[in-house]
Amino acid sequence: MSGFKRDWSGNAKRRDGPKPAAKQVVRNAYTPMFESLRNELDEHHDRRERIVKASRDITALSKKIIFSLQRVRKIESQLPANIQSEVDSRLAEIAKLLATIAPEIQGINRYRYARSLMCLEELVEALTFAHYLRTQTLISHAELDPTIEDLTRKGTVPEDETMADASDTAGTAEKPAPPPTAEPPTVSLTQDDYLYGVFDLTGEMMRFATTSTALTGTMAGGGSGEGDGGDDEPRTIVHDMHELGTLFEMLPVGSGNRFQWEKKLEVTRQSVQKVERLGYDRIIRGSERPKGWIPDLSADQGQGDELE
Amino acid sequence: MAPPMIDPALFEQLKTKIEEDTSVRKELDQILDDLNQHVSFTQGLLSRIHSTPRAKYATLLGQVEGGIKKEIETVGKLSAFASQYPYYKYNHKWTRMVQDAIATVILCAWLGGMATDSKPGEVGRLLTLENIGQAFNVPVNLKDRDAFHITVEEYLLGLIAVIDDLSRLAVNSVTLGDTAMAVQISGFIKDLHAGFQVLNLKNDILRKRVDSIKYAVKKVEDVVYDLSLRNLIPAQEAQ
Repeated sequence: MSGFKRDWSGNAKRRDGPKPAAKQVVRNAYTPMFESLRNELDEHHDRRERIVKASRDITALSKKIIFSLQRVRKIESQLPANIQSEVDSRLAEIAKLLATIAPEIQGINRYRYARSLMCLEELVEALTFAHYLRTQTLISHAELDPTIEDLTRKGTVPEDETMADASDTAGTAEKPAPPPTAEPPTVSLTQDDYLYGVFDLTGEMMRFATTSTALTGTMAGGGSGEGDGGDDEPRTIVHDMHELGTLFEMLPVGSGNRFQWEKKLEVTRQSVQKVERLGYDRIIRGSERPKGWIPDLSADQGQGDELE
Repeated sequence: MAPPMIDPALFEQLKTKIEEDTSVRKELDQILDDLNQHVSFTQGLLSRIHSTPRAKYATLLGQVEGGIKKEIETVGKLSAFASQYPYYKYNHKWTRMVQDAIATVILCAWLGGMATDSKPGEVGRLLTLENIGQAFNVPVNLKDRDAFHITVEEYLLGLIAVIDDLSRLAVNSVTLGDTAMAVQISGFIKDLHAGFQVLNLKNDILRKRVDSIKYAVKKVEDVVYDLSLRNLIPAQEAQ
């Protein structure tokens, strides 16, 4: 509504008219060469940008899965239904994101963008944690690969039943994946994605051990698995943490990123010791309280009935 | 029987993978040691250009080409070995050295060396990324398969190193009485500077190095200014 600008000869300038040629670059013998190199670099930068965006979203979703899983109180073959459904819906979103970037990180580009794909570590952490809560075992790299491939494939097929309820939140259709032909490309995990994901798993297990012990009064892993043939005490999370700690202590240090490895190993050691301390406390102080005693805040879970 | 927390096979698999990785790195280090040696030697020879009059370029460049030949051989070994593994997994180990090697070849060719049957050597000749690939006998800017190659970034970073060196040569050529050389370098660097402006750069190492070109431009401009002030610019080069 306001006025408009006029050019030198008094004619109104159009707002959306063709812009004056953007800063004319002086052309010389080398300009064409640089233009073609520019196109190559742009392709790379744009691709990385797309990957970084998706990666950030996948990281956030994975963290949310982990938070949900931290609300689990004991290890059993089925996650509580409400938590399972939270996890499923997040995984569905992750699947879509993975499917969008899958074509970008095939072949030579897998390692090219490895550093922009830190999200995979986070995803490994979430998946290994979920697996631990269900089975009390560590899932191997080889077992995890098909899971992630499966996720990517689900994300590619839009009218999958698991997709139906997943809300379409993030603008995931950044760059639509090419129509799925015979075999849609999938995302592969590198050894480092797996290892560093498992490093972080120890932290989550420590947190889980702490909360579940505080709230249920028993060491996770111990109570529920009784009567499955084991004559000894069932294995607790203390033992599992020791095993994980030993695994990392015994593995040769990857020479690629020694610094990061040492840092993660130190954190793992601390987590192991925290859980150790927890086990010790429970033996010492646990004897002072009746079996099955639980703090008042969760008093609805039935009273301890027998004293030993 | 509940399964154990960690499958014993799992540890072995992880261990084997890590050990493989370590031995690949060791072998790479050996090749790169060699490459480093040849590149340093060639760079050393090339630094003599700053005290060599143009008439004696041919002899010097002949020696430099000997060094480059060794570089090319070693890059060939590197290429054969590295192509067995994901390129970008280990690329960071050699990229600096390959950039330096590229720089020696570009500089040598610009000074009139690296003549081939089809292209005679002449001062001022810029090798393109494709030329560099041919010189080293390796692919460039590979996208469709995962093997050793020279990347766009490596070429550009190598080229920037050459610009730095040429700006120094502009000063020294004047000292040696070759003012025409200084003028030619000035024109070349300005053209390249304009060329680099065409790129869309992100905030990375390339951006940082490209930003440094302006200092080289200033350096040669100052030299040319000093020359023109004293009417020392040869007539056919003056514009």
